[in-house]
Amino acid sequence: MLRKLFDKYEPHFHDGGKWDKFYALYEAVDTALFKPADTTKNSSHVRDSIDLKRVMITVWIATFPVIFFGMWNVGFQANTIMAEMGMVSQEGLRGMFIGLLAGYDAGSIWDNIIHGAAYFLPIYITTFVVGIFWEVLFASIRGHEVNEGAFVTTILFALCCPPDLPLWMVAFGISFGIVIGKEVFGGTGKNFLNPALTGRVFLYFAYPAYMSGDAVWTAVDGYTGATMLSVAATEGVVAMSQGATWLQSFFGTIQGSIGETSTLAILMGGALLLATKIASWRIITGVLVGSALLSSLFNTIDSTNPMFAMPFYWHWVIGGFAFGAIFMATDPVSAAMTNNGKFWYGILIGVMVILIRVVNPAFPEGMMLAILFANLFAPLIDHFVVNANIKRRLARGQ
Amino acid sequence: MASESVQKTLSVALVLCVVCAVVVSSAAVILRPTQEENKLLDLKTNILASAGLLRQDIDVETQFEQITSRIVDLETGRFTESIDIATFDQRKSSKDPATSTALSPANDPAKIKRRENYATVYIVSGDSGLEKIILPIKGYGLWSTLYGFLALEADLKTVAGIGFYEHAETPGLGGEIDNPKWKASWIGKQAYNEGEIAISVIKGKADLSRPEGAYQIDGLAGATLTTRGVHNLVQYWLGEEGFAPLIGYLKSGDA
Amino acid sequence: MANIKDTLLEPIVVNNPIALQILGICSALAVTSSMKVSFVMCLALTVVCAFSNFFVSLIRHHIPGSIRIIVQMIIIASLVIVVDQVLKAVAYDVSKQLSVFVGLIITNCIVMGRAEAFAMKNPPIPSFLDGIGNGLGYSVILMIVAFFRELFGAGTLWGVVVLPVETNGGWYVANGMMLMPPSAFVLIGLLIWGLRSWKKTQVEKADFKITKNSQPSEVI
Repeated sequence: MLRKLFDKYEPHFHDGGKWDKFYALYEAVDTALFKPADTTKNSSHVRDSIDLKRVMITVWIATFPVIFFGMWNVGFQANTIMAEMGMVSQEGLRGMFIGLLAGYDAGSIWDNIIHGAAYFLPIYITTFVVGIFWEVLFASIRGHEVNEGAFVTTILFALCCPPDLPLWMVAFGISFGIVIGKEVFGGTGKNFLNPALTGRVFLYFAYPAYMSGDAVWTAVDGYTGATMLSVAATEGVVAMSQGATWLQSFFGTIQGSIGETSTLAILMGGALLLATKIASWRIITGVLVGSALLSSLFNTIDSTNPMFAMPFYWHWVIGGFAFGAIFMATDPVSAAMTNNGKFWYGILIGVMVILIRVVNPAFPEGMMLAILFANLFAPLIDHFVVNANIKRRLARGQ
Repeated sequence: MASESVQKTLSVALVLCVVCAVVVSSAAVILRPTQEENKLLDLKTNILASAGLLRQDIDVETQFEQITSRIVDLETGRFTESIDIATFDQRKSSKDPATSTALSPANDPAKIKRRENYATVYIVSGDSGLEKIILPIKGYGLWSTLYGFLALEADLKTVAGIGFYEHAETPGLGGEIDNPKWKASWIGKQAYNEGEIAISVIKGKADLSRPEGAYQIDGLAGATLTTRGVHNLVQYWLGEEGFAPLIGYLKSGDA
Repeated sequence: MANIKDTLLEPIVVNNPIALQILGICSALAVTSSMKVSFVMCLALTVVCAFSNFFVSLIRHHIPGSIRIIVQMIIIASLVIVVDQVLKAVAYDVSKQLSVFVGLIITNCIVMGRAEAFAMKNPPIPSFLDGIGNGLGYSVILMIVAFFRELFGAGTLWGVVVLPVETNGGWYVANGMMLMPPSAFVLIGLLIWGLRSWKKTQVEKADFKITKNSQPSEVI
């Protein structure tokens, strides 16, 4: 029935039809509901029988453990602290929402998830609506299809926001990410930067007091709590490990951006991405190797800077490291394309993240900057890999 | 073409050089006095602004008449007449090994590497003698050396104002040391408690209901290292290595 | 006289030195965080550009080809030093904020480019106007960028508070990115985008073309 309806109206959306400006919208709804009649038949940049849409939806599903854990953790942190501070309920609309569905018991999984949802959902909905708006707008003007890249971009962007971020900043950040980070270069596939990270970095430099510092990580007004990394940078690794054990950091019951705290939940999503070969194991290995080597080297240096002493297994579980390595660095569009290149690209990220975290005094966290930096180098890395191949073959021929 | 001959080339170059040299050097010479005046005026404006004395409606020169500059020997902590105030350049002297002392890293919380032997302080005098004293301060923040002035009231322990006139901290974070609201939060704080240096810039908000609140200044949000830099440099310059001896002598009246 | 008008006005929109020729970007990034400072910079550049064009054109028949670039440089450098000295004397505050960037006008591609491309081939008066026109073209872009950077970065325009910022008791959350030079890159990029959507002739030829509403089956 519906299929027939779509088919009947399709000609109107094609060039010269009365609604040709809205073709993009039509196409998006059509292919989201039905398997497209024209899936990729031969080599495109995804060499597989599934099209870009299925790839993106897999990534989206892979973020589910992170989403649910993130919501639980936001609620858990907030409820625990509210109990400590003797607060009974949140105020305003959020308070009504939570009061309607759940309570404020930090021991109850349901209460925590609802509390977290009261913070995460507004951020995600804002990101999604604004992100899709730009995507549809550009698709309509340019006359290409709405790209599902935006689905992934929006969920990843929402997950790397601090829970207390004002919504207008969320909208502003994703607009910058999608328009400047992607659309000006021609849309999905032509962007050399990861759009979600571009948006986040924009917010980080534009509104540093809201994106870093100590007042933003917990969804309770008036409470300040530093992230693990800033504690480590100012007071040292010992003080940091008194705040939370390694296992706590691994499971993610610590403060931080919504989706970045739990290494375990991220690994669950990562396993799906690796199994479906969407994420490249080469990149992830590269990041791990690069960071482990450099931080071990720093460990041997005796310095007054406490970050020098942080061992690599701590680096891996705190801050945005795991989230960045699994979800951001592996973005197929902005990463290196060649197999050897992917490995070096990963190593570059690993080395840069440790360098920024340890040596740069201004930024305790370096994951997003490291990935964007490596994004810029990805084409160069590919160039060298391809040239090396050509040279090797030439040498073999002689 | 005549203009391509060697002789022509040389003469064009020569004439042009002479003309340009004359123009440039005469511009420099003619404008030098005004520039010097501007530089001095700028310094005076900075001094007044940091002491919280700057007023828009009165000429800076007139406002500065109530201020006398004195040179302090930081080694002895007393005023000295051995240096000509008109030609003394404190910034330059802090870099010259002959007029400054190298600091070991342990003794150098403000990270200035060398401390000058002499410093210019500015005394605001009124009907009852000394009303305010303005001390030059400097130290390293996150990215840059902060240069500024700190003013104390006549009791020589209450802060009358602070201001930095040169720095390159991150706008919006460390750059907020220029924020008038933050600078105003220094006014009225106590620098010393029973002669011990007590003022500190803390992380987060100072609790004004507690007795320590009188000595504490709120840190800047998101600018931990700049805040710590300001804390260190204020502690250093108000401490024994800085102006504490002078303040002691001023109190006992034999500076 | 239409010719004079063209010389003067063409560089503002049609042949803008920053937006079309992408010259003089360095100072455009560095000095545009406040309108007042940018204005002084624009004034300095326009004066230097106009007079260097004028003097170069005046002696253009006597400049030997072998040393012409050096001759132009000497004229430009002398003018820049004079302008710098004057600024230090009359606008000390602004010149302190401009720091090295007045001096760097010497290396500004717009000034050199106009002297070499226009003044060497044209009489003094049109050259002078060409210098003014290019200075204006530079100024227009700089002032637009400075307008946005100062308004959104500090909430002020020409030093006057327009949007009271949050850290000072107002409601506007200042955008720190706007105070950093890279934001000018983004703004200039957006300006060029806007300009080229308006004046289609400035668009560079595309490397490839996407067919409208194409289905993959049609393409293959």
